[in-house]
Amino acid sequence: MSNADQFRELIEAYALGALDPQERASLEAHLAAGCADCAKALEEARWLVSQLAYLAPEATPSDVLRGRLLQTVRVEARAARLAKPSSSVPFWMWGAIAALLLFTLYTSTETIQLNKQIAQTNAQANAEIAKRLELEEKLALAQREAIILTDPRSVKIPMAAGSKDMPKLEAMWHAKLGIVVAGQNVPMPSGNRTLQLWLIPKTPGGKPIPSMMVRPDADGKFMLLVVNPPDNMQSTKALAITEEPPGGSAQPTSRPIWVGAIG
Amino acid sequence: MFLALLTSLGSGPAPGEVSPDAILVQSLLQQDVNAFEQLYDRHSRTVYSLVLRILQQAATAEEVVQDIFLQLWRNAASYDSERGPFVPWLLTLARNRALDHLRLKSERQRRHEDQTDELPSVAAAPQYERELDERRRIARVRALMGGLQPQQKRAIELAYFEGLSHSEIAERLKEPLGTVKSWIRNGLLRLKEGLQTAS
Repeated sequence: MSNADQFRELIEAYALGALDPQERASLEAHLAAGCADCAKALEEARWLVSQLAYLAPEATPSDVLRGRLLQTVRVEARAARLAKPSSSVPFWMWGAIAALLLFTLYTSTETIQLNKQIAQTNAQANAEIAKRLELEEKLALAQREAIILTDPRSVKIPMAAGSKDMPKLEAMWHAKLGIVVAGQNVPMPSGNRTLQLWLIPKTPGGKPIPSMMVRPDADGKFMLLVVNPPDNMQSTKALAITEEPPGGSAQPTSRPIWVGAIG
Repeated sequence: MFLALLTSLGSGPAPGEVSPDAILVQSLLQQDVNAFEQLYDRHSRTVYSLVLRILQQAATAEEVVQDIFLQLWRNAASYDSERGPFVPWLLTLARNRALDHLRLKSERQRRHEDQTDELPSVAAAPQYERELDERRRIARVRALMGGLQPQQKRAIELAYFEGLSHSEIAERLKEPLGTVKSWIRNGLLRLKEGLQTAS
């Protein structure tokens, strides 16, 4: 049996996570050496192993979980929309609207004109409602930030910079309301890169857990609110911030710029 | 998209087609709450069933399922549809998260932490993967695994649902290590052959 065949026999157990440490290390070294056959076999084995999930007895999560999740993603989606600059109506569209209005004036009956007015009024009302909802959402988030920053139950986490050129940051973690990280005089990340917050678990060897991303404004300020941290404070040893590619990363790709120990 | 979703209830996409799941995940990058809702409704039962089987406690399982779907929402870019189908990727993510939770809870020394904390590598679906819809797939996988010797099936379940290694399984079942290795490898190969035959 060739060397590659011996490793090939380990692939399914590796995908299952059942190899003992020594065998696992030797197979990983073989894969790292670039064996294309084993790499392809591993991809298929991972799929095969995933099919074992269907052995689990079927169960249904509660509606409460669904509601909680949807509430969280709606809040985060709104926050993301508020962070984007509002789009303007193109010039040509104003021209089209004007032409349409003229046409209506010349051709429509009194009923059509009335319907138009009603539609316009409804549109304005809807726009006002949407604007109000956005403002309410923004206000709610601002209130949440304010409570996290001022509540004596929040834990203050000073975040020291690894470089003297970087300002110190401060994070506040409220067990129920989330995390706020505030920064001033923060240099803009290069290109479209972003700053990303990480939770460093207490578990020995635990990998950083990815959290929210932020870019400072033109004045170098930012306020990052994490409504639903991916882990709790008791399980977290420290917070860290790195610079990552647009859209963030699953694991840090650069050294932390700021680190703050908890407790 | 609605038509695509209806189509997906039959069989998976043909080679070169983009699956409905991949379209929905892509929409998450634009913070599309509706796409998230559809993904949750399509897959939450399967994910929850798996996590509950591993953790054996409904409240904890729901916490972990919440983490999994929030990770998907916040980090949808980590799934690359060109490298493999979505559901095996999601199930691998769910299993890793649940096993991590299990290990943390029992304060057991992490045995393969390098694998479990990372987002899963995408699993490549062989050709026959497209042919089975989920209901048929569940029945087929259960029938094939039910055809194994009880101890052989038990060994695979201990590895998959409890994250045990060959040595730990041998100790648990009081069987020789070599026997356990053969059981697991041969059992998985039979499952693979059976799924190929089913297509």
